[in-house]
Amino acid sequence: MPNQLGFDGGVVIPNPYPVEKVEIIQAPLPNQVVLPLQQRVGDQAIPCVKVGDRVLTGQEIATTKDSFCVPVHASVSGTVIAINEQVIPHKSGIKSTCITIESDGKDEWVKNPGCGPDFLHCDTSTMIEYIRISGIVGLGGAGFPTHTKVARAQDCHTLIINGTECEPGVMCDDALMQYYPREVIRGVEILLHICGASRAIIAVENDKQEAFNSLLMYNHNERISIVHIPTKYTSGAEKLLIKALLGVEVPSGGFAPDLGVVCQNVATTKAIFDAVVESKPLVSRIVTVTGSGVEKPNNFEVRLGSSFDHVIAMSQPNKRSHDIRMGGMMMGVDVKDGKVPICKITNGIFVNDQSKKPAAQECIRCGACNQVCPVSLLPQQLYWYAKSENTDKAMDYNLADCIECRCCDYVCPSHIPLAEYFSFAKALHRKTTDDQYRTDIARERFEFREYRLERNKQERTEMMAAKKEELKKKMANDKAQKNKVAAAMARVKKSKKASDDA
Amino acid sequence: MHSGVLNTNQIMRQVIYALALGIIASYYFFGWGIVFQIVLGVATAIVVESAFLRIRKLPIKPAISDGSAVLSAILLAISIPSIAPWWIVVVGVSFAIVFGKQLYGGLGNNPFNPAMLGYAFLLISYPLQMTTWASEFLSFSQGFDVFFNLSSIDGLSGATRLDDVKTQLSLGYLVHELQIYSISQSLISIGFLLGGLYLIARGIIFWHIPVAFMLGILTTSILLFISDSQLYVPPQFHLISGGTMLGVFFIATDPVSASTTPKGRLVYGFLIGVLIVVIRVFGGYPDSVAFAVLLMNMTVPLIDTYTQPKVFGR
Repeated sequence: MPNQLGFDGGVVIPNPYPVEKVEIIQAPLPNQVVLPLQQRVGDQAIPCVKVGDRVLTGQEIATTKDSFCVPVHASVSGTVIAINEQVIPHKSGIKSTCITIESDGKDEWVKNPGCGPDFLHCDTSTMIEYIRISGIVGLGGAGFPTHTKVARAQDCHTLIINGTECEPGVMCDDALMQYYPREVIRGVEILLHICGASRAIIAVENDKQEAFNSLLMYNHNERISIVHIPTKYTSGAEKLLIKALLGVEVPSGGFAPDLGVVCQNVATTKAIFDAVVESKPLVSRIVTVTGSGVEKPNNFEVRLGSSFDHVIAMSQPNKRSHDIRMGGMMMGVDVKDGKVPICKITNGIFVNDQSKKPAAQECIRCGACNQVCPVSLLPQQLYWYAKSENTDKAMDYNLADCIECRCCDYVCPSHIPLAEYFSFAKALHRKTTDDQYRTDIARERFEFREYRLERNKQERTEMMAAKKEELKKKMANDKAQKNKVAAAMARVKKSKKASDDA
Repeated sequence: MHSGVLNTNQIMRQVIYALALGIIASYYFFGWGIVFQIVLGVATAIVVESAFLRIRKLPIKPAISDGSAVLSAILLAISIPSIAPWWIVVVGVSFAIVFGKQLYGGLGNNPFNPAMLGYAFLLISYPLQMTTWASEFLSFSQGFDVFFNLSSIDGLSGATRLDDVKTQLSLGYLVHELQIYSISQSLISIGFLLGGLYLIARGIIFWHIPVAFMLGILTTSILLFISDSQLYVPPQFHLISGGTMLGVFFIATDPVSASTTPKGRLVYGFLIGVLIVVIRVFGGYPDSVAFAVLLMNMTVPLIDTYTQPKVFGR
């Protein structure tokens, strides 16, 4: 292991709304839950319940065959009251099909299969199936289906457990490590068993001493090590975490398993434990509620599908009007209001007093941005090309490697929303290449048709020519035959005449 | 969401504050001239920039309050002789703002350093006024009269030491026969040096350009000095003469027109230093900060393209 754990760039941002002690408060059961069928990636899940059906907590209510999608479970027991389009937490405020369940307040659970505490007797594929049917996705914020990720990470030698807390202000992973260290460690053991990795490293930022200690206390497995890494924003990004811990860079365009490494978030690890050992599907998660608009920032363990307002109400919000943001202050997305449901990737909710953003000024190329870029890009140059929609040039400057972490935004003295420009330029590039691809295909198709018609014509001419030739030959043959016949006839005639004469 | 470090307006203001020591030193030796130059220069900049923004139908207040026009005006005003007549600074600043900045699209879009473009324009167009410097302290009324052409500058003016040394050397004098150091010039240089160090300490400019710039000057002048110490002045003379220190910390470090990659800044700064000595020694003009900077401004896109840092995972 290298002495210097870290990577270039990044910014140190202290928690803007610190708390004295990190806690997890159990949120009360909500009166109703709204569960979106469209998740982060992949197809939309297909409902397998009807309006009016009674469902139990943990019961599968929507199913899927797509490996990039996971089933959806009822997070409370009660009655399905609607299956319709509702606003989901997304930056465009889009609507998606959701199943609404009215809680009966009893929280009756369905019985699911699982391995039990002695999970080592289960084989890998059974465990992966349990992870799949429990609806587990990456809980750090990416939301990638965990069963697909681990299934693709067989033959990895190192398992990295991300306990870094992806963003300043979010405390849910810190709290989870303090409250559920046993579950996390057991979850890591399950993952080690599944991936066949020889070692696991749990990375905890060095400002989370309590979390570090509690994990240490419950870890009796010598294949699992717990390490401190410097507290710095973007160290939670998978590729940068690998660089910080192992000193290797995942090649551009490549994935961690290419290097024999697989990463999982601590919350995901705990969810895997719940699924495999406790037979509990993913129906709740820990959410941090923080921001300038609440008096008491805190973590809440809350059922999926509860509204944002359900937990915001418990953090003593002030009376002013708020901007609500899902995820962290850096990479989160602004949502329309607090009525949207908490979903699997909702790790944090920022409730901020509405404030006016400073107007963006011109870029003076000061270079503060390239100092902090964790992937060593030149945001000032990219901005120039993104602004002029010169996507080819931006791609030359490695736009595709931008992780949109917004470190550059954070330090920009001109308040330019750089990452937004980059995300726009990426989309534009995709569209142009897509259009180009389509034009190319169309042109090729056209050219091939032309060629085909030409070839047909030519073949036909050749065929006609050949036929003509043949016919001619045949006719010539026929003529020769006729001549022969005529000659024979003449001979016969002649001999006949001769005999008549005789 | 912001880091709480300086914003663009504050950066410009800090640079202006950092110029204070050098300006005070200059005032101490040469009197009120520099004050008149700065006041009229700044006023011209504000008027011209506002007028141009109006023509371009852009909001005036945010652009003026970013301080960039004021900064350009001050840099040009302290680069020209303090006893130059009033219209020199007016013409120079107007040219700098219009042709150096606004015609390219305003702050952030100009390939050349506006102040140096104005300076080069003035030097080529009005060589006499641009090379006649004050030789003593001018009182308020003396300065005022000179500034508005109310009295002659005879007896108050002369060439700079840089100019003087160049002329003497070309006349066949050897270096040891010349008086090459000037106390006033050295102290003004130290003033700008301290201001520059302040900017580096505040993280407003990076060290790369100043260090490479000085290395460029030293390397070239040491090579020349070693080759013939009687024909070529010692290296330290180049560091403290003319606009060197102003150029090192305030002109070459203008982020808009400088190279923007870490490696590129080193190349950019170094070559400016080399060019300055080469033009001073072999060229036709006594001082050359403006020409060296403008020439290197042109090479910035090329430097930036070839000095990109290694990207993660590539």
